[in-house]
Amino acid sequence: MPTIEVSHSDLCSLIGKKISIDELKQHILFAKAEVDDVKGDLIKIDSKDTNRPDLWSAEGIARELKGRLTKDRGMPKYKIEKSNLVVNVDKKVSKVRPLTVCAIAKNLKMNKVILSQLIQLQEKVAGTFGSGRKEVAIGVYDFSRIKPPIQYTTVGLDKKFVPLDFEEEMAIKEILEKHPKGMEFKHLVDGLKEIPIFVDSAGEVLSIPPIINSNFTGKVTEETKEVFIECSGFDFKFLVPALNVLVAALIDRGAKVESVKVVYPDKVIYTPDMTPKKASVDVDFVNEISGLKLSSKDVVGLLEQARYEVTKVKGKNIEVLYPAYRQDIMHPRDVVEDAIISFGYNKIEPELIRFKTKGEINKQEVLAERVIEKMIGLGFQEILSYTLTNKDNLFKRMDLKEEKVVEIENPVSLNWNVFRSWLLPSLMEFYSNNQHVEYPQKIFEIGDVVLIDEKQETKARDVRKMAATIADSKVDYYDILAVLDEFMNSQRKKYKLRKVKHSSFIEGRVAEIFVENKVVGIIGEMHPQVLENWKLEMPIAAFEIELL
Amino acid sequence: MASYRLTEEGEEYLKNGLPEKNLVEILNTYPQKSSTIGKVMLKVKNFPIALKWALDKQWVMKRGSEIILLKPPFETEEEVALREISEGGDVEENILNVLIGRNLVQKITETYKKTEESLTKAGNVIEELNHDIILTGLWKGRKFKSIDVEVVKKKLDKKIVPGKRQPYDYFLMQVRKKLVEMGFKEMVGPTIEMEFWNFDALYQPQNHPARGWTSTYSLKYPKFGSLPSEKIVSRVKAAHENGWKTGSTGWKYSWSAKKASQLIPRAHDTAITPRYMTEGIEIPGRYFNMVRCYRPDVIDATHGVEFIQTGGIVVAKGLNFKHMLGLLKQFAYDIAGVNEIKFFTDYYPFTEPSVQISGKHQQLGWIELAGAGIFRPELTEPLGINEPVLAWGFGIDRLAMNKLKINDIRELFSRNLKWLRIQGE
Repeated sequence: MPTIEVSHSDLCSLIGKKISIDELKQHILFAKAEVDDVKGDLIKIDSKDTNRPDLWSAEGIARELKGRLTKDRGMPKYKIEKSNLVVNVDKKVSKVRPLTVCAIAKNLKMNKVILSQLIQLQEKVAGTFGSGRKEVAIGVYDFSRIKPPIQYTTVGLDKKFVPLDFEEEMAIKEILEKHPKGMEFKHLVDGLKEIPIFVDSAGEVLSIPPIINSNFTGKVTEETKEVFIECSGFDFKFLVPALNVLVAALIDRGAKVESVKVVYPDKVIYTPDMTPKKASVDVDFVNEISGLKLSSKDVVGLLEQARYEVTKVKGKNIEVLYPAYRQDIMHPRDVVEDAIISFGYNKIEPELIRFKTKGEINKQEVLAERVIEKMIGLGFQEILSYTLTNKDNLFKRMDLKEEKVVEIENPVSLNWNVFRSWLLPSLMEFYSNNQHVEYPQKIFEIGDVVLIDEKQETKARDVRKMAATIADSKVDYYDILAVLDEFMNSQRKKYKLRKVKHSSFIEGRVAEIFVENKVVGIIGEMHPQVLENWKLEMPIAAFEIELL
Repeated sequence: MASYRLTEEGEEYLKNGLPEKNLVEILNTYPQKSSTIGKVMLKVKNFPIALKWALDKQWVMKRGSEIILLKPPFETEEEVALREISEGGDVEENILNVLIGRNLVQKITETYKKTEESLTKAGNVIEELNHDIILTGLWKGRKFKSIDVEVVKKKLDKKIVPGKRQPYDYFLMQVRKKLVEMGFKEMVGPTIEMEFWNFDALYQPQNHPARGWTSTYSLKYPKFGSLPSEKIVSRVKAAHENGWKTGSTGWKYSWSAKKASQLIPRAHDTAITPRYMTEGIEIPGRYFNMVRCYRPDVIDATHGVEFIQTGGIVVAKGLNFKHMLGLLKQFAYDIAGVNEIKFFTDYYPFTEPSVQISGKHQQLGWIELAGAGIFRPELTEPLGINEPVLAWGFGIDRLAMNKLKINDIRELFSRNLKWLRIQGE
């Protein structure tokens, strides 16, 4: 969910109407966003639609609000002139970052606000829509400093140039190690011997996408009058909308945008292409989904407010055009939502669902509830722990040999990188946080453990278990056995105990619990070595059992 | 020699005579040497005992309701023995056994001696009533030491260590019960799940940012699961690539079965729904789940290592967006306990239209309560569902935190025993 900042006064001037913050809080729903925070003229906005990069700027928000609040309805028009700029795409890029789409914007009337909006939009589109620059990297350059034609090719890592915001030349490999952007994005070019580069006919470096622009051409300021824009990546599906979103925002600011001839080894394309796209929707379908009773005329009005252009109304079928910056419309349903948004979510009367169904708690939870009641009756405190833990807790501190467990590849913290395979470590960890709380400490937890199980389609299996422990200045096997016995009787389960060796427990004071000849758990006195490992000073008697 | 003492009953009989003796003595005063039970009953203390022993000893006989004296009264060996014992003398074993049997005499045990000794030492004031004192009856005729019964405000050195419910778990169970009252059936699913059910079957494209390294955990081990039937897989693939038969363009990319078979810890609760939809759900139907989810968020006061999400679906022919809003309104009023609501536009890759509801909470002000929407046909149709499915996810963490008066989401899984003992239900 991208968060953006816009200027209140700038937004009002783009809409062409003064609206208060309170009004904005209400109307911004039309742009699928929420006002998060207001500081003076600065408004922080949460944009909710991760599939609508066109809404991630003051220009985009203004477009939507304009349609609903002013007479400026229907589809905004974007005229593109042809330039004679050529970008030659070398076939060498086909293996590293094969595609680019480009544009030129002239007549810029830059100021601080407009520049910051442009930079913000570029960052959000490449970052969120472009998956952290992987799918879309965007470069914006001072066109006056570029000597056409431009070449998109590859270069070795020893190539030197002055990266943005630096003063000295650096080799690319150095940039990847030392420049903040190099460090942030080098994983996108990991292992490449040659990386993509835009250079002009004078040999001047524009940028090495998706890493960094050069300081000479790639620096855009409030004085910049014309810019060259390129988006590079792997799939036109992302690149085209990304470029169109930027172009639309610039045109909304009064820029004149010109297309660029991009010459690939096997084809020539002209970008940007702002030709509107077609869709159609049936009024009955709108009513079926919305529950509203709208006429064709109503729907036409609502769609025009949502910046569609209605080209034909034939009975209940409405044909529309929508702007080229939108790529989110896959199904007539998407058009329906825009009509409902124009109608206003808060103007719709919610309707209660009438039909009756019989509710039901999952049987595992029903059992858990029964067991919890029992254990509380026995004076045990219920605790709840994370299922994520680490191998030290599961094995080392429990004095056990490490076993295979479900392990996370990209943990946020090494404290939480495996799933627990048994419950007692969670209880030990709990005790270690409560050394000085009044004894006896009788606690229990009901929870899932996750076990590797190659026979399952997910190669793992959840097992619902319960563990109960007593810590006190004097506690032994029979104290906890009394609890187990009472618990088993209450569950009407016959059980047997069989002596076993388990290094977490004192030898000769630990047994496996059998129900119907199947091992379902373990009971015993925790080994003093385990207690010491957890820095515990009281003896602990414990059992852990599968809840069946 | 073992010593014996009279019981309370023994003392009384020594003083007032054995009940059977008293009975024959009264009969003896009557000229007919007999009486009706009714007449004599009130005159003799412990009449049933008196009659039993008098009959046993054949001092009297009973004819109908009449008691007839057979033997004139004389001093019995029991009386002699009782006197003897009370004076510390010895008696024959057979009579001793009779008296012990009648609970008129008891052995002076070690316990008795010890207890009596310690009570004497304490000035015959009982400080603490115990088993021995009750057993020996030595409390009789002695006083109890008074204690400070208004101690409440002082620090008690005796405290109950209670077993209580974990408050968050209890809260969740209350929510669960409310949902059941509303007609929802609980769904469950595996903690480790394939991306297929987590995302693909929910029509979330494979290149979606939420499926990236920073938004979703991946596993070092195990890595890949086995995808469901070819029928379902090929439909889901088609839905992603070209919309299948749903009238959609799809996401227009080349769908990877390998990516879909990757195992991850469940990233959101909605992952449970498509399995149920595929296996067949009741239509009309209401379903919910309440499960742990895992995302690589930076851990702080608002992001835990893992968290519990609640969500679900309502499916029936003819459901529409008005019903969606109605359902959310019901949740807001009945579960969150708010009485003012607002709807917001929202986005999920798997719902269209999508909506968010916020409610005005007494303490918290306006808070986001739930996200919801109608499942896209690209999701439902490949799984074999052709009716509208309203899907919702409820943010219960925040409500629980408010209820339990905590500011840090990690405390929902509190490690603080003191707090649990106080706060628990």
